[in-house]
Amino acid sequence: MALLRAGLCPGLTAEMVPLLRASGLRTVVDFVSSDLEEVAQKCSLSYKALVAVRRVLLAQFSAFPANGADLYEELKSSTAILSTGIASLDKLLDSGLYTGEVTELMGVPGSGKTQVCLSIAASVSLCLKQHVLFLDSTGGFTASRLYQMLQAQPEDEEEQLEALQRVQVVRVFDVYEMLRALQELRDSLSQQVLSSTGPLKVVLIDSVSAVIYPLLGGKQSEGLALMMQLARELKMLAREFSLAVVVTNQVTRDSSAGPLKPALGRSWSFVPSTRVLLESKETTWEKANMQRIASLAKSPRQPTGLQVELDIGNSDVQELSPATPTQGL
Amino acid sequence: MSLCPKFTELLARLEGRSSLKNLEPYLFAEEGFPVHGDVIEFHGPEGTGKTEMLYHLIARCILPKSGGGLEVEVMFIDTDYHFDMLRLVTILEHRLAQSTEEMIKQCLEKLFLVNCNSSTQLLLTLYSLENMFCTHPSLCLLVVDSISAFYWIDRSNGGESFSLQEINLKKCAEFLEKLVREYHLALFATTQTIMQKSTNSAESSFSLKLQHETDTDYRPYLCKAWQQMVTHRMFFSEQSNPGNSKAFSVISCHIKEKHVVKRSFSIAECGVQF
Repeated sequence: MALLRAGLCPGLTAEMVPLLRASGLRTVVDFVSSDLEEVAQKCSLSYKALVAVRRVLLAQFSAFPANGADLYEELKSSTAILSTGIASLDKLLDSGLYTGEVTELMGVPGSGKTQVCLSIAASVSLCLKQHVLFLDSTGGFTASRLYQMLQAQPEDEEEQLEALQRVQVVRVFDVYEMLRALQELRDSLSQQVLSSTGPLKVVLIDSVSAVIYPLLGGKQSEGLALMMQLARELKMLAREFSLAVVVTNQVTRDSSAGPLKPALGRSWSFVPSTRVLLESKETTWEKANMQRIASLAKSPRQPTGLQVELDIGNSDVQELSPATPTQGL
Repeated sequence: MSLCPKFTELLARLEGRSSLKNLEPYLFAEEGFPVHGDVIEFHGPEGTGKTEMLYHLIARCILPKSGGGLEVEVMFIDTDYHFDMLRLVTILEHRLAQSTEEMIKQCLEKLFLVNCNSSTQLLLTLYSLENMFCTHPSLCLLVVDSISAFYWIDRSNGGESFSLQEINLKKCAEFLEKLVREYHLALFATTQTIMQKSTNSAESSFSLKLQHETDTDYRPYLCKAWQQMVTHRMFFSEQSNPGNSKAFSVISCHIKEKHVVKRSFSIAECGVQF
């Protein structure tokens, strides 16, 4: 709620402000919604001057409408579809992750959410040569596992190391740290600083429920307000800077036999445009349980209910027995 | 302070407004089309087809008459970055017999989009949009998706006092009512089902006691000023269907006449299909 003060906009002089305040107009909203003829009489100010100030304040503080055709042109040139590195998941998502959208991966612990995030980071940093920001709130990010995924690709070692440099990891353990990290990202993208962030295309957040869960519950609405503020920030970043934002979330059930639904409640459920459920596939005892099933729970483009099988272990790891120590950094 | 239009402009505006005939006969119980001054609320949980229905209605408005449309302009206020332009274009492409880039562009030129980030910005934006309604006589549909997006943030900012929490939305509702009345618009707004259904019977006497409301998960939570200006309330829900096809249902209620109609629809690539 912006307060009226001298110099807030051209035309709002130091003489006007105390007169306006005296007649009860303290904020921009008060001024804009008041009857200017009355105000002109009461404060003995020029009606024309007041109308001019109102026009400038509105131009400054309100949102400007855009034409659909212009927006479409802009979107056509700025939207990109990014491969996740897993062919079957790309098919599920209608070619991959769309920039400008928030995609949610949900599943029980151990269902492969972090692995899919790492695969996305590997694919985008190596094959697409774009920068990736990984916000880790669970401590589940391991550089060695990421390097392993990169090593499984045909590119040479130098390119793999370059790819590692394009992945920036920030460890955040509460919602305020997460909001701060996102604010820093926004600042550097706004200034278009190319050095460290480079052409950033993907923000991975593993997981969002870990930082929000402690806020929910009880009668206060501050927790929900913070959650919606985080949601808004994520969507704004995705839209304004054409990023693909991927978040991971837990699952709950309404009753013991009900279907799985995303955690964090109803208000959060409206936030992502695409939602994928990851589940383990029952395999035989001998094989290590590496098979996962991904089902499409929400999508703006595809019919829901589509299911694919994912292979989150890469082929090298599958051939090795589980006892072999993993190579890498 | 209202801006006075010329007499010819006024006539053009009235003619333009009444051409919302046949917007969607399935949704509107008896008269078949929204009339000037109608405020229609789409209410429902996530994934029940509210946004798809909006795209369907917008497509109907902006398509050329030769493509089965009404050729009127639409103002879309997006409060949570929900609007998917690519999806709308897909729907338009399916509905045009020959969809060229040029035709799509002509349709999209009739759509105006605004993003609002707070209830204060929504209010100030509504004030500055007043000018647009005046200068665009064929702008007769106003869509707000969704009007409940700032609910938790406003509640948290308002502290302990209910009236402080609701004041922004109350002012928005009052100004929307003024815009709808003065410029003869039809307003479509979505509200999200974010509360559990109340089991308290005292609360249900606050809303109209209609049979359908016991079926729907409806618990009014927005301010009274908004509740009272709604003329049609549509409840969206998923219909459990045997077999694989997902179906949705919308229960359309005309508040004053207490007229209720239930319709089923499905969502295909070309959009909503009744």
